Amino acid sequence: MIRNIKLYFSFLVASLKRMMEYRVDCLVGMVSQIAFQIIELVFIWIIFQHTDNIAGWNFEQLLLLYGIMMLSISITDLLFDSTYDIGKRLIRKGKFDTILLRPVHPLISVLGESETSTALGYMILSIVLIVSMLIKLHISITVLLIIKILYFGILGGFIIGGIQTIFSIAGFWTYKSNEVVWSVFQLHKLAEYPIEIYNRFIRILITIILPFAFASYYPAVDYLEIEQNYIIYIVPLITIIIWIIAVSVWNWALKKYRSTGN
Amino acid sequence: MAIIEVKNLVKKYKISEKENGILGYIKHLFHPKYKEQIAVNNISFNIEKGELVGYIGENGAGKSTTIKMLTGLLTPTSGQVVVNGIVPNEKRILNNKQIGAVFGQKTQLWWDLPVIESFKLIKKMYEIPDEDYKNNLKKFTKILDLKDLLDKQVKNLSLGQKMRCEIAATFLHNPKVVYLDEPTIGLDILVKENIRKFIKDINKEQHTTVILTTHDLKDIEEVCDRIILIDKGTIIYDGEKEVFKNKYGKHIIAEFIIQNKNSNITVETIEEEFEIIEENETSIKIKFNHERLTIIDIVKSISKYCEILDMHIQEEGLEEILKEIYRGELIND
Ligand SMILES: Nc1ncnc2c1ncn2[C@@H]1O[C@H](COP(=O)(O)OP(=O)(O)OP(=O)(O)O)[C@@H](O)[C@H]1O
Ligand SMILES: [Mg+2]
Repeated sequence: MIRNIKLYFSFLVASLKRMMEYRVDCLVGMVSQIAFQIIELVFIWIIFQHTDNIAGWNFEQLLLLYGIMMLSISITDLLFDSTYDIGKRLIRKGKFDTILLRPVHPLISVLGESETSTALGYMILSIVLIVSMLIKLHISITVLLIIKILYFGILGGFIIGGIQTIFSIAGFWTYKSNEVVWSVFQLHKLAEYPIEIYNRFIRILITIILPFAFASYYPAVDYLEIEQNYIIYIVPLITIIIWIIAVSVWNWALKKYRSTGN
Repeated sequence: MAIIEVKNLVKKYKISEKENGILGYIKHLFHPKYKEQIAVNNISFNIEKGELVGYIGENGAGKSTTIKMLTGLLTPTSGQVVVNGIVPNEKRILNNKQIGAVFGQKTQLWWDLPVIESFKLIKKMYEIPDEDYKNNLKKFTKILDLKDLLDKQVKNLSLGQKMRCEIAATFLHNPKVVYLDEPTIGLDILVKENIRKFIKDINKEQHTTVILTTHDLKDIEEVCDRIILIDKGTIIYDGEKEVFKNKYGKHIIAEFIIQNKNSNITVETIEEEFEIIEENETSIKIKFNHERLTIIDIVKSISKYCEILDMHIQEEGLEEILKEIYRGELIND
């Protein structure tokens, strides 16, 4: 396990190194993603021109929630970005066979190929958002709070990354797996708003089926001290469960893949 | 005990039979129909430690399929593979540690990284001791002439340069068994020779077991001691290369330089063992069965038609033998 994690980081560092080769691509990716996020923020602002709260949440609180989700996403992008297009990039080109021949679990190799161009921009933007909203909301920024924000940010990143990893197995059947993962990923947008605004079906969707809400909503409720909530304590458990499922699903897909041949 | 044991190995591929058009596609979605194709049909062999085996056969004979099963990339439909006491398909990671493999032009190196960085990652993956790594790197750099390549990115290397690095990467962790599936495809003669020499050297030093598939029979001539010949999924020969040549290489090719030809040379009574491959005003090339005829017989019958100035005699190589086998001319026992 330790060996695998070490190797994962070796692969990741190699992959980030190689990304540095393409500074222009990186910059373009970063700028366009930040522009995209700012447009979304403008939308939220427009909504608040017509109302002063959404399900009891005011503008600043909502932006805090938004920032928390963005922090989680930045972690996901940094560590698990490569789950998007394994169909096209690895399986279809036959590169996956060389990965299967390595003395590590193929998932480690695949995840280690992440090359994000968005993580840094998101991280900076999310920290700016979170800090400025905490100040505006007169929430004192204690060491404990900072630790909490980082801790739940990382776990949130792992939850979303785990969900992506589960759906990435679509790549074994279709080289358009990026669209499958992308569609699922887009559902995280639902968790950028307080879940009170949703009906039961959507609530179940984003807390139980695809627990995006644990990467944003529940931590936000805790930081805002809206109510005593103990649910935050199960976030690590949820992360672990997601990853157990992800690894099992992957092993199952690998078995299928090896019996059909490619 | 043999290092590779293969017993009654079978691989059937399922090929989906889709009908044309969108309707056929939808039909297939709900009611998939498959056709089975047997790629490897009940093969068995044992390979001892340190053997250099050439695994040959026509396109589509089932070579790559076999290699994929030996490496654990592909699950056999039935039958058994044991490599150094491990079933590759069940204990993949453990098996991967002790083997190395090259598949044609798929690279195991990191495309955008300098070669040396890939080597360092490989060192980490296989947990190669510093000492071994240093020694191997030095040795491989020398034999394969990698000195100027190590700092280049893989994507900027030519095919031959890439393959040399690829071969080095494959042997870096002192694997016990190495599978090479068409490692010389597309390479020039010098690089081919370089790689052959490398394989032979390492085999001598480390007793690495090597299974090599190739369509360049020079590879086999120079590297392998043993041949396994597969045809339509079944093994039709397994044994020493020299024995193979003696058994099937019954022909000799003689080329005569001639002048004053008085008529076209016709094949008379001895038709079956005597074949004119090429004929023109100044030369003639003849293939004959050396068990039935001698070169003297040939000279005698040709000299009736022309004056012989010179001649070259050549034993039939693997290539000619295989051509005959593939055409179905030789094996009927
Ligand atoms: N993934 C696959 N699905 C279906 N059929 C396959 C698959 N891979 C190979 N085959 C078929 O199995 C047979 C054996 O193929 P294989 O690749 O093992 O041949 P080979 O001996 O390596 O040939 P070559 O010299 O051309 O590389 C062929 O008829 C091929 O069409
Ligand atoms: Mg092949």
